[in-house]
Amino acid sequence: MDTEAALQTVEQLLKEYATEVKQPEQNRLDFSISVENLLEAIKTLKANQWGYLSFITGLDHPAPLTAEGEAPTEGNLEVLYHFAQGAAVATLRISLPYSKAEVPSVCGLIPSASLYERELMEMFGVNVVGTPDPRRLLLPDDWPEGVYPLRKSYQMVGGAAEPPVET
Amino acid sequence: MEKQDSNGKFIVPIGPQHPALKEPGHFEFAVEGEIVTGAAVRLGYVHRGIEKGAEARNWTQNIYLLERVCGICSHIHATAYTLGVEKLANVVAPPRAQAIRTLVAELERIHSHLLWLGVAAHEGGFDTLFMFSWRDRETVMDLLEMITGNRVHYSTNILGGVKIDLDDEKITAIRKGLDFLEERTHHYLKVINTDETFLGRTRDVGTMSRQQAEELGAVGPTARASGVPRDLRVEAPYAGYHEFPVRLITATEGDLHARFVVRMNECLDCYRVIREILDRLPGGELATRVPRRIPEGETISRVEAPRGELVYFIKSTGGDKPDRIKVRTPSLCNWGTVTSVAVGHKLADMPMLLAGIDPCFSCNDRMVRVNRPDQSQTWSWENLRQYGIEYYR
Amino acid sequence: MNEVKLENPWQQALDRVRSWARINSPWAIHFNSGSCNGCDIEILATLTPRYDVERFGIKLQGSPRHADVLICTGPVTLQARDRLVRIYNQMPEPKFVIAVGSCGLSGGAFQGCYNVVGSIADVIPVDVYVPGCPPRPEAIIYGVVQLLKSLKGETPDPQANAAGAG
Repeated sequence: MDTEAALQTVEQLLKEYATEVKQPEQNRLDFSISVENLLEAIKTLKANQWGYLSFITGLDHPAPLTAEGEAPTEGNLEVLYHFAQGAAVATLRISLPYSKAEVPSVCGLIPSASLYERELMEMFGVNVVGTPDPRRLLLPDDWPEGVYPLRKSYQMVGGAAEPPVET
Repeated sequence: MEKQDSNGKFIVPIGPQHPALKEPGHFEFAVEGEIVTGAAVRLGYVHRGIEKGAEARNWTQNIYLLERVCGICSHIHATAYTLGVEKLANVVAPPRAQAIRTLVAELERIHSHLLWLGVAAHEGGFDTLFMFSWRDRETVMDLLEMITGNRVHYSTNILGGVKIDLDDEKITAIRKGLDFLEERTHHYLKVINTDETFLGRTRDVGTMSRQQAEELGAVGPTARASGVPRDLRVEAPYAGYHEFPVRLITATEGDLHARFVVRMNECLDCYRVIREILDRLPGGELATRVPRRIPEGETISRVEAPRGELVYFIKSTGGDKPDRIKVRTPSLCNWGTVTSVAVGHKLADMPMLLAGIDPCFSCNDRMVRVNRPDQSQTWSWENLRQYGIEYYR
Repeated sequence: MNEVKLENPWQQALDRVRSWARINSPWAIHFNSGSCNGCDIEILATLTPRYDVERFGIKLQGSPRHADVLICTGPVTLQARDRLVRIYNQMPEPKFVIAVGSCGLSGGAFQGCYNVVGSIADVIPVDVYVPGCPPRPEAIIYGVVQLLKSLKGETPDPQANAAGAG
């Protein structure tokens, strides 16, 4: 299956779940999806044997600094599920507010996602509901709870772990 | 580590420290008698926080940092990163640069596979092969040193191209080295296919069916040994692989032996590709200009590292530093296959099984603890290896 | 080191024999506290036929309890710090530490990363530093030789750094 055809197929498959479809690069499609539709969308991909879960990325978008008098906005996290088929990559993009940073675990459908989900939990503080093994994967045992190094609010000070600057 | 099972099962933690490994894993194997009934993994002993560190360095400095994600496949990390940044900047490196990148990547693959062959043989108690393959590996190390000036971190890539060039003298030396290596690789293929003791440790051990491999998300030679036709150099050619295509090498058996055969056959294909590159080395510039600030955007750069699919996710907000770099190394995918495939195997097979996915295991001190409600006993990795060798004696 | 000074002549002789044996065949253990592997494969390369340190009596050991020399690589990560100290404590006296590679010396490329404590010398005392990223196998052997020289009571080569950096 060549890249063009693969992208067309995946667009057909995921169109009904996506709120927005973008094509950032020639071999990529970017579907914005709400959390509720995530499992359904992955089920569809799996039923049609489109690609495999390549990796999961977290992104942090802290709230922009607001001018005085303006109501402060809430920052959000993004979780990106990348599925690859040959050269084609389909990204499921889920946006989560800080206050409800929760995604369902996809391990029921894709067992190999366990390691990525563990990483997501400790690096970004996204609560992955129902992941089979919620233990720490990468951070040291004595790392403080509630400190997520890949969030932008975490400032690197010297070498050792420092608590993040609360905003 | 404190895990205890009420059924009186042994929990055998392996790890955590493994020196020659970029992702030292701490494994826990639950065993019933001799048979492994469950496995879990804990990483992070060598977790340094590179992804965060990369956000604090500028685009050029990051080449240096990301090359040091792993000392064994340093070039491919830098290649994935530079290809991604070039994509964001809308720059294409000149053909000669792409060819040289490919050449160094293939030499690195040879070095990595020979290294692995030795280490895996060592885990199986076959030290003669370890010494031989590492002796021959010095040939390719010499070639890499001659081309790039360094034995381990080659620093070949810069944004927009490469900083080293090849001349006739070097090309002749590479050809000579390849002839020697090719002959030796045929010899190793013969050894792994005919040596009875070796076959006894590898055949029908850790068998993973194609379906399993696909479900568990195996990548690289581990997946290809189970018949999954997944090789990014073929599926999604990057750098010089359009010009110089590689063959897809797979095997159907899916056991440890197949992983040996696939890797050795890949080496043979590497020699062919390198010769082809040397025959038809494009002329021209070595690098193009890349702006200091990279335009806003996100990109995914996927390359085939010696151990499998390596993915970089790079996000720029238009500054002189990246906003986010995500590195997904191939070994991470393959850990998952070990924890699943281990179930049902003998504890004595574990060293070979772990070595089989090529997390660059080598002789060193990993602690193995045997925990039971009433007692706790610590083994070193060496003990476990010895145990495996004795068991099969 | 904490060696007791022995006055009895035959004990002194015994001590000389022990020190002679130690210098002739130092057993080493290798520990990675967060390195990228580069130094580790070079240390392994010193064992293999091209460099073959065993001809000097240097042997890589699996257990810290059997080792005289601890060869360390990499910056020290938070998770590995306790392990490094534990391994160091498990080694019998007298013990010596060789830090291999730039990041073992100063944190190197990983300086400032959140999970990195710093150099090896921040955690345990270090006797010999081998610079390089990674140092060549020759440089690592040279570092060991410098250590052995100092054990014999000779002053280490003042050119050590220049020659050892390879």
